Amino acid sequence: MNDLVKSALQTAFRMLPWPTTTGLRPIGTPGRASPVLLTSNYDLTVRRVERALRGVDAWLLVAPAGGINVWCAAAGGHLTTHQVVSTLRTSGIAERVDHRVLVLPQLAATGIEGLDVFRRTHWRVRFGPVRAEDLPAYLAAPGEKTDAMRRVSFDWRDRLEMAIAWGAPSALVVGGLALLLQPAWALPLVALCAAMALATFTLLDRIPRRGPLILGAAATLLSVAATLAAGGGAAAVATAIAAPPLLTALLTFDYAGSTPLEGGSHFESRDWRIHLDLDRCAGVFRCWEVCPEACFERDDATRKVILAHDERCVRCGACVVQCPKDALSFVASDGARIAPATIRRYKLNLLGRRTADTGVDRASDVH
Amino acid sequence: MSTLAFMRWLEGTPSRYDAGMRALTFGRVDALHDAVAEAASPRSGDRVLEVGCGTGAVTARLVARGARVTVLEPSAEMLAQARSRVGKDAPVEWLERTASEIDTLPERAFDSIVFSLSLSEMSPDERRHAIAASRDRLRGGGRLVVADEVRARGLAAMLQSAMRAPQALLAWLLVGSVSQVLPNLRGELEAGGFVVRSERRWLVDTLALLLAEPAR
Repeated sequence: MNDLVKSALQTAFRMLPWPTTTGLRPIGTPGRASPVLLTSNYDLTVRRVERALRGVDAWLLVAPAGGINVWCAAAGGHLTTHQVVSTLRTSGIAERVDHRVLVLPQLAATGIEGLDVFRRTHWRVRFGPVRAEDLPAYLAAPGEKTDAMRRVSFDWRDRLEMAIAWGAPSALVVGGLALLLQPAWALPLVALCAAMALATFTLLDRIPRRGPLILGAAATLLSVAATLAAGGGAAAVATAIAAPPLLTALLTFDYAGSTPLEGGSHFESRDWRIHLDLDRCAGVFRCWEVCPEACFERDDATRKVILAHDERCVRCGACVVQCPKDALSFVASDGARIAPATIRRYKLNLLGRRTADTGVDRASDVH
Repeated sequence: MSTLAFMRWLEGTPSRYDAGMRALTFGRVDALHDAVAEAASPRSGDRVLEVGCGTGAVTARLVARGARVTVLEPSAEMLAQARSRVGKDAPVEWLERTASEIDTLPERAFDSIVFSLSLSEMSPDERRHAIAASRDRLRGGGRLVVADEVRARGLAAMLQSAMRAPQALLAWLLVGSVSQVLPNLRGELEAGGFVVRSERRWLVDTLALLLAEPAR
């Protein structure tokens, strides 16, 4: 398939799995000292990584992760320690290189336990940059991961991608139904879907908490008035009445998995707070390294981390999973502490399981 | 018949897996599990390695037949389900590990190695590695017992592929992952150094049970 057509299809329907061939891929002309990278077998991701690595000699391991992108697969339990162990052991990479250092995408940190990978394969794990574009710069100076490489952004490109990912399938369904039932409505409804998707992902985190309700009410009044003034028919008035509340609903929906923003209001995970046990902190700073929202700051004088921006936390669980001292955990609003071992084992995070009915420690366990 | 969508949904909820699988296969999955256990453990006291135990349907049957079992299962939830089903005092060694770690087990330690509906969960690299590593884990006279979803023959194959596309979509929407049929299971076993001694099929030829021995 033409690369461009493929990209367009995969962008429009990126909610579907797009699996690609797993296993070892040489990039350029790698040798025995070349870096070894791993990513999930999501076709769009693999092609982006390959493009980003043009001019670099490296080994790329494509792990079987159900054809899902890295962050979703790691959070949802499809790209875990097991897939990494299995890929390292079955791809033949150990015979191709002399070193044992594996660079993982940073966003895989919520699913992959570096220490466990080492115990089972003797490979050391490093968490590289969030975005594939930063790989050449990271590989040129692996010790110097910049702040920009570490943070998840949600810039206009990401917003547009997500608007297309939600807008295209809904336009297809709504437009298709309209063609069957009321062909004249098809085009306006497709346009409405596109506009709704764009508006949703543009406004999502940029209006205050009660914003959607006020915005919806005001927009309903305005659009009905405008439609009536323009002499619109019953259908136009109906659309004018229905569209703004729909936008309100869309703006309060939980887009976990589509945005790096806090999830919606439908899940109890919203009540979870990240909890730092300073007594346990030994200044390893793995949390600081993997947090996609830069919630942590380093205090190099005391060798302790500071949970400086817990309001930014999206409960991805990466810091909890990676902390070798179990200093981090989630605490529910009733004070119940969800132990790191439980979070690691059952993938309790923004995308995985949201209820911890098994193994939740009681409040007395919070030190 | 391919029952992929439901299977994936059921895998997402281990506690419902068995009842669902039984309904979906019209009770045939019980017959398959029985046949697998019988083939893997003809004598009491046999040492059996089960790669991917799921909810322990085969494990329980192996234990009932008097086998001593070692289990490799990567899913913590499936492992917990299987343990509570088989009982914690049963002679089973439960290892939360992937099939790729078969070669961490001692050589020539098992009378039989079972892959029941687990090879189709693996990538081609993983299957190649697991099958090849199995060879060295078997004692003299040992056998490989493989049950899985395979490509049907003739007209049934067309029906099978026609039914998979919508099911794959449904599976994705329900549980976010899709399984596969094995196009050439016999060939993969032979490439891994085994000779297939017998093959049985169920459910319009889509479920196969193969018995194989290491080639001389």
